[in-house]
Amino acid sequence: MAVLDKKKSKVSDEVPSASMADIAFLLLIFFLVTTTFPKDKGLAIVLPEQGGEVQVSQRNILHIIIQPNGIVEIKRGESPQVQTTPPSGVEAIWRQDVSENPNLIAAVKTHPDAPYKFMVDVLDALHIAGAERISLQLFEG
Amino acid sequence: MPIKGGGFERKSKASSKVPNSSMADIAFLLLIFFMVTTVFQKDRNQPIVWPEAEATQKIDEKLKNILNIWVVRDGNIFINDRTYTMGEVSQVIAPLYAASERALVISIRADREVRYTTIDLLQEQLVAAGVVRVVFATELEQRMTRERR
Repeated sequence: MAVLDKKKSKVSDEVPSASMADIAFLLLIFFLVTTTFPKDKGLAIVLPEQGGEVQVSQRNILHIIIQPNGIVEIKRGESPQVQTTPPSGVEAIWRQDVSENPNLIAAVKTHPDAPYKFMVDVLDALHIAGAERISLQLFEG
Repeated sequence: MPIKGGGFERKSKASSKVPNSSMADIAFLLLIFFMVTTVFQKDRNQPIVWPEAEATQKIDEKLKNILNIWVVRDGNIFINDRTYTMGEVSQVIAPLYAASERALVISIRADREVRYTTIDLLQEQLVAAGVVRVVFATELEQRMTRERR
């Protein structure tokens, strides 16, 4: 029947726009609340107090010398023996040496021309190995 | 014949209601205006490439207690968007450190290729200013990327 086809639906064919702003504000507030800003991150160290120099026995020092090309030289105390390793190898060396001598102190001596990243690599390795007594110095000589 | 009420009771054709259907539009306009006009801290001209470290930790400190020292690749030092020479650093930091009641954490944000002597001099300046807590800002390094290198 042709008449039935022309019957109009009572439901409005328009999308209700009155609450659109409310929806937008809800979204806005939702994202405001859920946004978190990235926190600062890095390797924490504690600097010594001014003039707080302590004499340490050479036996308890592990000299870690960082050369400008990224090669790390390890010297133990006063012994003239030099061991070379990449920065990532410091972790294993520290773990082994600290198990022999729990009072060990890491003296990280960086060459003035060495890029900063090699010092961070060594510091990272020491942090992973759980070292807490770390001294950062400039390599002279 | 007198006019009723002296002609004062004639109703105005203007509606006495404030139209509130466009309120949301006004609010959005304001929102967009402030979004567009907000300027965030300026970026350095030379972008900093972070050194990477596996032991990177989040710093558990309020944002206002962290002071960033930026060291760009050529060794220039920036504190609070101003450049300083190495000798000025401790004089700049010391009053800020005192004002924060020694709670300030210094974050050294240096490029990975900076010469180490710059960092060492910077540490000396910080020690002279009495600063104790220092953080070397690094990017978290995954073991996967380390093995690839």
